[in-house]
Amino acid sequence: MSRESSYLRHPFWQALAVLVGSYLLFKFGIGYLLPAIGVHSAPVPSSVLLQYMLTVVVALLLYVSTSEDRWTRFKEPLRQVLVDPDKRVLRVALLVALPLLVGFLTYGRVRADVGAPPSLRSIHPAPPNQITFRGEPISLTGLENPLREHGSFEEHLAAGSTVYVQNCMPCHGDRLDGEGPATHALNPVPANFTDNGTISQLTESYVFWRIAKGGPGLPVEGAPWNSAMPAWEDLLTADEIWAVTLFIYERSGSTPRTWEESNEGEGH
Amino acid sequence: MAGGSGFRFARCALGMRSLLASLRGLRIVAAALAARIPGAAWSMPLPVGLSRVRWMGVMIAVLVALLPPARLAPAQDAASGEAIYRAWCLECHGAEGRGDGPAATHMLPRPRDFVGARYQIRTTASGELPTDDDLMRVMRDGLPGTAMPGWPNLSDQEKRDVVAYIKSFSPFFERETPEVLQRSADPGGGADRALAGREVYGTLECARCHGEQGRGDGRSAPTLEDWRGFPVRAADLSEPWLFNGGMGADAIHTRFLTGVDGTPMPSNQDALEAGVVTEEDLWDLAHYVAGLGPAEAPELEEVVRVERREQLPDGPADEAWDDLPRFYFPLVGQIVEPPRQFSPTVDGVWVQGVHDGAELALRVEWHDPSNSPDPGWQEWQDKIAGALYSDESAIPVEPLPDLLALQFPMTFSDGRGRPYFLMGEGRNPVYLWLWHSRRGAVEGRATGLGTAEVVDSGAGLTASAEWEAGRWRVVFRRPLAAADDGMLSFSEGAPIPIAFFAWDGSSGETGTRGSISAWYFIGLQPPPSNAVFMAPLVAFLVTGGLGMFAVRRAQKSYRG
Repeated sequence: MSRESSYLRHPFWQALAVLVGSYLLFKFGIGYLLPAIGVHSAPVPSSVLLQYMLTVVVALLLYVSTSEDRWTRFKEPLRQVLVDPDKRVLRVALLVALPLLVGFLTYGRVRADVGAPPSLRSIHPAPPNQITFRGEPISLTGLENPLREHGSFEEHLAAGSTVYVQNCMPCHGDRLDGEGPATHALNPVPANFTDNGTISQLTESYVFWRIAKGGPGLPVEGAPWNSAMPAWEDLLTADEIWAVTLFIYERSGSTPRTWEESNEGEGH
Repeated sequence: MAGGSGFRFARCALGMRSLLASLRGLRIVAAALAARIPGAAWSMPLPVGLSRVRWMGVMIAVLVALLPPARLAPAQDAASGEAIYRAWCLECHGAEGRGDGPAATHMLPRPRDFVGARYQIRTTASGELPTDDDLMRVMRDGLPGTAMPGWPNLSDQEKRDVVAYIKSFSPFFERETPEVLQRSADPGGGADRALAGREVYGTLECARCHGEQGRGDGRSAPTLEDWRGFPVRAADLSEPWLFNGGMGADAIHTRFLTGVDGTPMPSNQDALEAGVVTEEDLWDLAHYVAGLGPAEAPELEEVVRVERREQLPDGPADEAWDDLPRFYFPLVGQIVEPPRQFSPTVDGVWVQGVHDGAELALRVEWHDPSNSPDPGWQEWQDKIAGALYSDESAIPVEPLPDLLALQFPMTFSDGRGRPYFLMGEGRNPVYLWLWHSRRGAVEGRATGLGTAEVVDSGAGLTASAEWEAGRWRVVFRRPLAAADDGMLSFSEGAPIPIAFFAWDGSSGETGTRGSISAWYFIGLQPPPSNAVFMAPLVAFLVTGGLGMFAVRRAQKSYRG
C-alpha cells in the first residue's frame, strides 16, 4: 500500500482533515461559496463558528474512540512526536512555536484598542396606536392604505414611483434592495424591501408611520436607534406617503401584512 | 422568464440563424447542431473502451463546456425590453429615452440620453456607437461614480431585451454595426514605465483638466461641459474607484483610445496616428494614471485610532502625519431637507488623529478642485446651480467659501445613543467644530440642519489649513478637557461619536446643500503601559511549561 493511501486511512490524519475541512467550510464555504451559486447567505459569526468547531471536535473524538484499535492508531502520531528520538527536532520546534503562537494571540486580545461600540437594535419597534401627522391625529390601529380603495391603481403607482426616485432611491436603491448610490455612506444600512424580513412583515400603516416620523420619531424604549431615516412628514403629503408605500410593496413583489394576521401573530 | 422547452428550442434556432451570419459563431453552431441531432452523435463510431453511457457523459460534458446557455439565446425581444424599461429605467432615463426622467434633474452626470445615443463608456472608436456587449456590461456592473447601478435582479435575457429596446430609441443603431476597437497588448508596468508615463501626461496636457496631481483641479476644469451643456467634473484620477469605466490600467487605456464621448475627454487615436505619442506611451500613461490612486477602493473602518505621542505635529504639512494611520469615510449629498444636493463635490474625507494627553489634533483631508471663494470658478458655480438647484430654491450668486463641520454629541455618553446625524434635533443637539476657508475654526452647536450657531466655550479650538493641487488639509487642535461641564471632553479609551459635513463653495454648496457622513467614532489611545506585555508572557510560559511537562510524562511512561 502506498504512503499516500496509508495517510488517508490513518484515523489521526482523517480526523485532522475533517477538522481543517470543516473549518474552511464554515469560515468560507457558507458565507462566500453559496452566494456564488446564487443562494442567499452570510458569513458565520465567530461565536457560532466556535460552537460548530467544538461539535466537530467532540464528534471526531467519539468516532476515533469507538474502537480500541482505532484509538491506539489515532494516538500513534502524537506519541511519536512526544517520545521518538528521531522526532526530536519537530518536538522542540513545536514546544517553541505553540507557546509563541499562544502568546501572540493573547497579545492581540489584550492590546489596547478602541473599538466601535456594538450597535444593537430591534428591527421592528412597536408602533404607537396614534400619531400626529402635520397637526392632525391619525389612528394607526386598523388603518389601511386609502389609495387601494380610491382612484386608479396605475396612477397611484406612477405617483409613488416618482416620489420614490426623487426621495428614497439614493438610499434604498433603484432595485429597492437597500443598495443605492448613497448607501455606502450610511450606518446602519437602509432597509432592503425585497428581503421578506422587512416590509412584508408589516402593515401599510406601520410603513406610513416609519416614513412620516423617521429615525427621530422612533420610540425611546429600546434606544439607541441611530437610524438615518429622515422624518418625511414635513416634506411629503399623506397621499404621497401612501403612494410610495403602495409602490414599494408592488415593485418589490411584497404584500403588506393585514390587520387580521397582525392580530393573530401579535408579533409587532 | 420561465419559457417552456419548446419556446427555448425556437429561441435557440433563431439564435443560431443570427449566429450563422457571424463567422466567430461557427464553433458554437457546430456544437449546437450536434446537440439538436443527437442521432448524429450515436452514428459516430465509439472510441474503444468507452461504454455508451460513459460516451454520453463525455458528449454532455463537451456540450456543456461549449454551450453556456447565454450563448444559445442571443435573440432580443424589444417588446419585453420595453416592459422592463418602464418598470426600472424610465424614472431616470425618461419615457422617451431622452435621459430626462423625474429623477434626472438631481443627477450629475445626467442619465444617458438614448435618443442622442452618445455613449461614454464603450470599446469602440470615438464617435461610434457602443456594442451590445458594452451596453450589457454597463447594465450588469453599473457605472461607478454615477447614479447608475448594476442590475443583478435582471436575467441576461432580460438585459438583452432592454438593450434591444434602448437601441430602438436611436435610428443610428440600424445604420451602423459598431466594432470593438483593436488595442495593442499591455507591455506591462513598473516604476520606470510609470515615470515615463508622467512625461506623456505632460505631452498630452492631461494636467490642463485633471491637474498636476490628477485631482481634477486643472486650469480648464471650471469650464468643462458635456455635449448637452451640463457641467462635467474633470475626473479625480486619485480616486479610481469612482471611474465610470472601471479602474485598472486596461480600462484606463481603453478610455484613452475610445475617448469618453459627449464629454471633453478626447480619444488619443489622433495623437497616436499623428505620431505625437506611441502605443507604448499610452500604456505608460495608463500605468501612471492607475498609480495615482490606490488599487482598490479604500476600506471603511468605523473608528479613527487617535495615537498618543510625546509631541503633536505642527501644521497640516508636517511629515509627522505620515507615520499616523489614515481613516477614510465616504460622504454623500445631503438629500433629505430641501434645498438638497444629490451630486456633491466632496465624496470622502481622510482623518488622522494624535494626542499628547492634554491636547487633541485631528487632520482632515479631502479633495476639492477649487480653493473657494474663487472668482475663477464663478462660471462653474452658476452652471452647477442651473443644472442641479433651479427646481428647489434661489440660486446663490456670490462666490461662497469652502466649509467643513465636525459633529460630536454635546456631552459624552456611552457612545451608543447619538443625536440625529443631520446636525442633531431639538432635544438632542450636536457640538460642532466649524471651519471656514477664510476665517478658520469656531465651536458651534446645532439642533437640526441650518440651525448651527457659534458658541465659544473658551476651550481654545484652533485650526490651520492648506489647499494644494485640489486637496484641503485642515488640522484642528483642542485641549482634551472642556472649559465647562456642558461641553464634550475627550477622554481616553471609550469611542466618541464623530460625523462630517463638507461644503464646496464653488459648486454653490451652502446651508443644507453639501456632503454628509453617518456617525463614526474617534478613539483616543490610553498612555502606553508595559502591563500589556505581561499577559502574553505569562501565556507563553504556562503553555511552554505544560508542553515540557507533557513530553516528560510521555517519555517516562513509554520508556520506563
